Amino acid sequence: MDHRSEDLGFLWDHVWLSAVPVIIGLVIALPLGWLARRYTWTYPPLMSITGLLYTIPSIALFVIVPPLFGLKSLDPLQVPIALTVYSVALLVRVVADGLASVPDEVTQAATAIGFGRMRRLVSVELPIAVPVIAAGLRVATVSNVSLVAVAGTIGMDNLGRLFDQGVQLSTPTAYYPPIVLGIVLCVLLALAFDVLIVLGNRLLTPWRRAVISQ
Amino acid sequence: MISDVFTWLNDPSHWRDSAIFDGIPTQLLNHLRYSVIALLIAAAIALPLGLLIGHTRRGGWFVSTVNAIRAIPTVGLLVLLAVMIAPHFHGRTDLGYLIPTEIVLVIIAIPAILANTYAGVQSVDPEVRDAAAGMGMTGSQVLWHVELPCSLPLVISGIRSATLQVIATATIASYLPLLGGFGRFIYDGYHQQDYAQMVSGGVLVALLAMIADLLLATAQRYAVSRGISGRYAKSAGGATTVATVEAEVSAV
Amino acid sequence: MKRKTLVIATAVAALSVTLAACGKSSKSDSGGGGGGGGTIAGKMILGGPAELQTRADGPTGLQKNYGVSFQAFKVLDTGGPLTVTALKNGQVDAADLFTTDPAIKANNFVVLTDPKSNFGAQNVLPLINKAKATDGVKQVLNFISTKLTTDVLIELRTKVETNKEDPDQAAQEWLASLSDLPTSTPAKGASLTIGSANFPENVVLADIYAEALKGAGASVKTHLNIGAREKYIAALKDGSIDLLPEYSGALLQYYDKNAKVASATDVYASLQKALPANLIVLDQSAAEDQDAIVVTKGTADKYKLTSIADLANKSS
Repeated sequence: MDHRSEDLGFLWDHVWLSAVPVIIGLVIALPLGWLARRYTWTYPPLMSITGLLYTIPSIALFVIVPPLFGLKSLDPLQVPIALTVYSVALLVRVVADGLASVPDEVTQAATAIGFGRMRRLVSVELPIAVPVIAAGLRVATVSNVSLVAVAGTIGMDNLGRLFDQGVQLSTPTAYYPPIVLGIVLCVLLALAFDVLIVLGNRLLTPWRRAVISQ
Repeated sequence: MISDVFTWLNDPSHWRDSAIFDGIPTQLLNHLRYSVIALLIAAAIALPLGLLIGHTRRGGWFVSTVNAIRAIPTVGLLVLLAVMIAPHFHGRTDLGYLIPTEIVLVIIAIPAILANTYAGVQSVDPEVRDAAAGMGMTGSQVLWHVELPCSLPLVISGIRSATLQVIATATIASYLPLLGGFGRFIYDGYHQQDYAQMVSGGVLVALLAMIADLLLATAQRYAVSRGISGRYAKSAGGATTVATVEAEVSAV
Repeated sequence: MKRKTLVIATAVAALSVTLAACGKSSKSDSGGGGGGGGTIAGKMILGGPAELQTRADGPTGLQKNYGVSFQAFKVLDTGGPLTVTALKNGQVDAADLFTTDPAIKANNFVVLTDPKSNFGAQNVLPLINKAKATDGVKQVLNFISTKLTTDVLIELRTKVETNKEDPDQAAQEWLASLSDLPTSTPAKGASLTIGSANFPENVVLADIYAEALKGAGASVKTHLNIGAREKYIAALKDGSIDLLPEYSGALLQYYDKNAKVASATDVYASLQKALPANLIVLDQSAAEDQDAIVVTKGTADKYKLTSIADLANKSS
């Protein structure tokens, strides 16, 4: 059946388009967030810029990206680029606040033992910041799943195309299957990402479970 | 392309209405109309609910399930409701598409307002609550005179976040026929291969969102009671927990 | 106290904005909108795809060719269910639908005739990469073109859109119904990827080409539902597809926005000149899928409409 392979293709495209921007966004946000903490004078301007970027509605960002980046007007690349910008805008704040949540005593203790700044960051501060960063990642990926579907309305290939197909076939009466399938798949995908991140959070912070069990 | 956008925006015929084209001011009013109706309805539902749940400290689970609404693709819901509802409307009206749009806008506005109102009321220091009770205030007096004023910045932050999401989704609503708003420029530009129009639509939406955010951010700053301004400074260290970050993150 | 006034002031502001917006929009609906001046069209709202708004055969063309000027134009979809529903339910009084739409017969709509050919010819024809157009392939596709008629298109669309049949199955059924389908395999050795636009009629046509070429010995892959014209023309250019069903008038408009021709033969001739070097079109079929102005039976009876020109009559 033609449908099944086409729908799976859409699903696969959707997975990539939702996940990759968040991963790249995190990679970019980590040093930026660290910068905002380390040099506190950069915190306000950085937060203003990222805050500003985040206010721009997704579809507006999709269509503004091509002229700014010199792409063709309907280049499929504009979606991942715009979503990466969003993810960075969201995650810089989260990373900065996550690093800020590390208690002073802990950082001082680490320095006292002899950890250098880099080692302290990687082995102490980041791990403690994981729960906060994970919370931000969950928001970023789940909203990405919805935003990618929006790109389907301007012709990009993903689960959003199913909604378009449902409308086109809604003659003479409403035709629900592609629409419902699209919604269900999006929700399941968002859920799957959410669960993955929660599990990752659990795996990376074994000490929290030890504390609670006391 | 960027110069094309400037040309499009500066063209006076795009600021006027004609038989076949609705100008920028009309679409601005349409966009605001769709957004404000949804925000008023959502606030009427979520504010009292958030205050109640926060004050009685029961039903926190409700807030987290409502947050799961974020996982629903807004376009999908829009299309589903439109396909169900639109055929039932006759005559020269856009209600057949306006009603599904408003339903979806309200659905996405509620989680932000609810979660932030709840977090705001919850974050009020228990000592303050104790002090108020000690002064002889009844439960509802504590709510109105202490908890609400203290949590006002977070409440407005929730309204701010909801406003941005509503403005963004109202743009997508123009995917449906008969509706206006700045999204109309984006989708018409897409179909007509008039990319100057499409990008201009995007620019207009972005400007609208930024201005709305600015206005609400100012309101947020002025909402902080004079007695406690400085309490909500972005603290280095201190009590930044997962819960407050989640609340702040959804307020971004 | 300051807080309360702030809250109240914001609420008042929000309310006044809402009321102002409601007021403005209802005003522009009833009063505004240029055209008409006492004609039947001046009382009617035209609905159609966004492309029609600025296209030469849209409101501008109607004004020029017939002196018809509607009260307003509303963007719906490209001859799809949203347009049909809007016309049926009275949100628009006249709509731009395609002549092969099964909804026209199903809803008893009246297609207004176009004696001055405002809407040019739109014959179905194969658009193919020149390098892939071997003699065998050409033979098969030209044979198919002789068998396609507008009625066939309507029948296929009814099967796929109304009855929700699988397009590939509908294609096979139609080919099987042809009494003189050749059994030889002149296209043996050829290998092609066939694409289609993302609307059902085009998908069925692509499936017909695919099944016919397969039956004639070619090795065929399909890549359907690609999207709008820019997307699949780009795919033709970069070789990810080699062949797809197109419409003479629309394709000509895409390459030459100022084309003024309307008859089937003129359009075909101009199209062959306008195409880029590596693409050619084969024989066109008699099957046409044109834009048309359509009204409900009630409207046609009320204003005695049979052709677009009637819309310019003074309304009583």
